[in-house]
Amino acid sequence: MADCPRDATEREWELFRRASVDEPLTHVGSVTAPSAPVAYEQAAMLFPAAVDLWLCPADETHRYASAALGARAGEDGGSADEPETEGDAHDEEAAPAPSEADA
Amino acid sequence: MISVSKLLCETAAAGDGLRYGDPSDVPQITDEKQRRPVVVWNVTRGCNLACQHCYASAEAERADGELSTAEGKQLLRDLAEYGVPVVLFSGGEPLVRDDLTELVAYARDQGIRPVLSTNGTLLTPDRARALRDAGLAYAGVSVDGLATANDAFRGREGAFDAAVRGIEACLDVGLKTGLRYTVTERTVDDMEGVVDLLHDVGVDRFCFYHLDYGGRGGDIADADLDSERRREVVRRLCDLTREYHADGSPIETLLVGNYADGGFVVEYARDELGDAAAERIYAALRRNGGDPAGDRVADVDYHGNVHPTQFWQGYALGNVRDRPFGAIWADESNPLLSRLRDRESELSGKCVDCCYREICGGGSPLRSLTVHGDPLAPDPQCYLTESERRGEPPVAVPERMAEPGD
Repeated sequence: MADCPRDATEREWELFRRASVDEPLTHVGSVTAPSAPVAYEQAAMLFPAAVDLWLCPADETHRYASAALGARAGEDGGSADEPETEGDAHDEEAAPAPSEADA
Repeated sequence: MISVSKLLCETAAAGDGLRYGDPSDVPQITDEKQRRPVVVWNVTRGCNLACQHCYASAEAERADGELSTAEGKQLLRDLAEYGVPVVLFSGGEPLVRDDLTELVAYARDQGIRPVLSTNGTLLTPDRARALRDAGLAYAGVSVDGLATANDAFRGREGAFDAAVRGIEACLDVGLKTGLRYTVTERTVDDMEGVVDLLHDVGVDRFCFYHLDYGGRGGDIADADLDSERRREVVRRLCDLTREYHADGSPIETLLVGNYADGGFVVEYARDELGDAAAERIYAALRRNGGDPAGDRVADVDYHGNVHPTQFWQGYALGNVRDRPFGAIWADESNPLLSRLRDRESELSGKCVDCCYREICGGGSPLRSLTVHGDPLAPDPQCYLTESERRGEPPVAVPERMAEPGD
């Protein structure tokens, strides 16, 4: 699977939150920050009630998604400038297939 | 987004159905799609300008890994399936993408109303015609002052003249076109001059944005208006709108990005038009609701990250490359998303007993987060006086009960 960056101006951090000690970690999105400590500061403002916040660099996360956009679009990820093969997005609803949507 | 012209002059436009649910002679977007968000799609990071306030922190080059044409079409199918009524193609500068017209046409074919946010400098007659033919419903062109101020603010000499040429190109092919203007200390002095100039060109829709503190907008917070100046500006826009209407050349005027505007417009109406008008306006604003972040507006960036608003690029709820947009947006197991949608129980400080809390919702969560470290703290840009906040709101007209056959 081609790399699909998530970061814009700074590094992107996947964010996991545990609401209480007897609950599982839950993915609650991602924050943009230059470092883990800054990402934590931002996450703590957004989710002040959490007992645990875990941050994982988005570009170190390998995702195996059954409903990945690229697979459903009939392509294997790639860049915006790739030529579109005839009919791939107009006529086909590609069946969801396991794929690594990011690397 | 608050339509000053609709509220004060009772003129209707196509978007008013989304905002106020009012019947009118103008075709409205009033069906169940109102319950789904308007989606801003930043199709690229690339931009040929370098604006001081760019919330997307756009750069000259496009980003690696932007959503491809095929991915974009799948995204549009997902949005259509979820019932999204409008997609706003934005950037960066969306016209740097060669497939923009193709994507606009695809959105139209999916039953989504495609609209455009652009700096206007790349809108040639050929591209304007192609976008019109693709079904583009509206082009909002950003201009932030007359030539000197605009070009300094937007980072390129000649940008103003190029944007005006772009506006003319759109109007010449019959494409509905309006102004987008961000009001700061660096741009405010030219506001009326730009309205007058563009009205002469043929523009009749003017959207005025308060500065939000996303991206490079956060770097120029010192150029934001203070409360007194903001009151003067909004009052002048109310007056200006009524003057144009009284002169027989009505303009559509909208305020964007600060829902204290709702309370101010009600107070303005009470002073200038009487209690009945204030009551009617309050009822319309109450139907509309307050700040739309995380609820009535969503943003998808060029990498597929889903943000609560276009200005809030530093936090993403998820990514459409992993999960369809509708699944991300409907997932209220995210406590931040659920808090944004239940603002009234979360308001704090001066918002708690503000009589306009129902039509404001506490204002911009991004500005509150930036200044107070809490997205649901009072908006630092609120400019209502204490006496206005502690007053009695006009009695809201009760919602009409649905009847069989409605």
